[in-house]
Amino acid sequence: MGKLAKIIRMEFRLTVANRVFIVLTILGPFLIAAVTLLPGLLSTSGGAMGSPATKIALLGADPRFVQEISPAFKQSKIEVSAVQGSAESLDSQVQAGAYDGYLVMPDDISDVTRLQYVSKNAADFRVMGVLQGVIGKAIVAQRLVKAGISLSQVASLTQSPAFETRQLTKSGEKKKNSDFITIFMTGLTLAMLLYMTVLLYGQVIARSVLTEKTNKTVEIMLSSVRAMDLLFGKILGKALASLLQYGIWVAISAAVLKLVGPRLGVSVNVGLSVSMLAYLVLFFILAFFLYCSLYAALGAASEDEQHLGQLAWPVVIFLVIPVVMISPIITTPQAPVIIGLSLFPLTAPIVMFLRILVGAALPWEILVSIGLIIATTAAVIWLSAKIFRVGILMTGKRFRFSEVMRLARSR
Amino acid sequence: MIELQSVCKSFGQVRAVDDISFATREGEIFGLLGPNGAGKSTTIKMIMNILDPDSGSILFNGSPIREADKDRIGYLPEERGLYRKVKINEMLHYLASLKNADRSAVEKRLDEWLARFNLAEWKTRTPETLSKGMAQKVQFIASILHDPEFLFLDEPFSGLDPVSTDVLREAVLELGSRGTTILFSTHNMEVAEKICSRLLVIDHGREVISGSLADIKSRYGHNIVAVEFDGTIDFGSLSGMVRNVSRFPRWVEMELVEGANPQTLLRVLLGQVSIRRFEVVSPSLHRIFVELVGDGGKTGSERLSG
Repeated sequence: MGKLAKIIRMEFRLTVANRVFIVLTILGPFLIAAVTLLPGLLSTSGGAMGSPATKIALLGADPRFVQEISPAFKQSKIEVSAVQGSAESLDSQVQAGAYDGYLVMPDDISDVTRLQYVSKNAADFRVMGVLQGVIGKAIVAQRLVKAGISLSQVASLTQSPAFETRQLTKSGEKKKNSDFITIFMTGLTLAMLLYMTVLLYGQVIARSVLTEKTNKTVEIMLSSVRAMDLLFGKILGKALASLLQYGIWVAISAAVLKLVGPRLGVSVNVGLSVSMLAYLVLFFILAFFLYCSLYAALGAASEDEQHLGQLAWPVVIFLVIPVVMISPIITTPQAPVIIGLSLFPLTAPIVMFLRILVGAALPWEILVSIGLIIATTAAVIWLSAKIFRVGILMTGKRFRFSEVMRLARSR
Repeated sequence: MIELQSVCKSFGQVRAVDDISFATREGEIFGLLGPNGAGKSTTIKMIMNILDPDSGSILFNGSPIREADKDRIGYLPEERGLYRKVKINEMLHYLASLKNADRSAVEKRLDEWLARFNLAEWKTRTPETLSKGMAQKVQFIASILHDPEFLFLDEPFSGLDPVSTDVLREAVLELGSRGTTILFSTHNMEVAEKICSRLLVIDHGREVISGSLADIKSRYGHNIVAVEFDGTIDFGSLSGMVRNVSRFPRWVEMELVEGANPQTLLRVLLGQVSIRRFEVVSPSLHRIFVELVGDGGKTGSERLSG
């Protein structure tokens, strides 16, 4: 076994045997599942959370009308009932909790232009959305009936057409395309995945390189191995450990979502083709190693944890830029700035992936972008090895870029 | 064989190592001596290829050191450190494996050395629990587990208690007698005097003296005469024979000038005072060292001529 392999093995073991790592590996999927499922559970239907149905009084409404529309509310766990009386008495009933809110209905609803909904929680957009949809539709239907259109015609006349987009591929075939939201969410997923990983493991790697210096082990290591081997070993060892953790997370999360998701009424929909999934994994791994090597360089350049923190934050900016730009990237993937960003190694993984998703990237662009990322990673590792050797001498002295460049030229 | 030819190294304005040349012979224990900041560690780091010299060359068996040569070298750096979370036996095995050493042979040596340094019970513990001196002994073991042909020890004795110093000194002597070429730096002259066959004294990055211990003593050391007496000595009558006289009422310490015969001095003194004790001592390395580098400013050659 080569020395590099031995270093990788040691670093891998050091990382995996860490208590924090084990706890995170086990708890991670549950956190992910919680984060993915909870918003869905909370927003789609209150019923899924076991909360009682929302009771709404329709003040002055015709009981027959209420009977007609109540099935449409059932789905959303809203109970509507026709109530006669004064607004004041209903106010006190709402205060007392007998109703969650009430809607003031006029005698002739087909003439109405404005309806008032009173509740303690006026910002409940879910209830408002359902009310607007169901009652609005019912009112429009009544108007149409009044205008002489039969009830059976109303449904077909008020139906708005469904839209679907088709992407014209180079072979001239018209392929069904993912919509904006799917692309947006997929791009955001890659970006967030990278962001999380870089924050987690980038720091781990930077600190590991830094402690090699602060622990004074660096000279012993360098008396046996090359600085390059040491850095490569550290990056690869930690990266493998983190990929293992990711593997476990993805597997458990997928299982949890698949088993528990449907029971809770949340469907998991991976709207990605196999080739797109392959690109996602490829760009994730490329970006992962690029950022890991950058953090290794930062660890080599810094003298203590505080200094590392100062040096490290600008790196995150390069992950934030593509996230803020997701919309323009998807809508104008051929803009020069965006093509540039898709080739610039630090932003390329996310931007190029998005351009591939919308079908805007040319094969040579993809290849150049991948090549540049790999070349940059190698260059950064080489530079970190140089910084590392300079860093040994710089006890108590701040790292200067000019010094590194001088050394980089020297050999 | 390690050979340095006119090696120079500067850090900014400071010349850390200035034109140092020496060569170790196979199987000898070579001492690199000098006060703090003399350039000893820098020299060893350059030999280990951790630092690059500005000029001059460092040859390992006649050619510049290669990556593969590192497997035949053991190195104890001045800055000691161990991975805090790794058990001592695992760490030692790891470091030996990075020298491509045979695992079973390492395992055997590991137990022997841990026992010898009284560390056997620490084998499966982490270094977090070790004292500084213990960690240093562990690091020494790390530097020799792969049975190197060459051993570079940077201040191996600093911070050790007297018992550990003895054990380590014995270990170094034993390795030396088995044919390991050992280069070590120290400012502890007593230890150096006991184990070095040859040495180089540097100060401010420059060579002050070099050669075998006996050679240096006869060349640069001057015999010291200590006399305990009753009566009054006429020091004027001693001129030409002694210098650097330290006078006390009943006791005096003087340095014999070159060529002066202690017997003649004794005869002169017997005519003046009654002698209680008369002793000729060869100077300790410590005294030579202090004399050569103690006054700071002058260069070695100035000191020797003056």
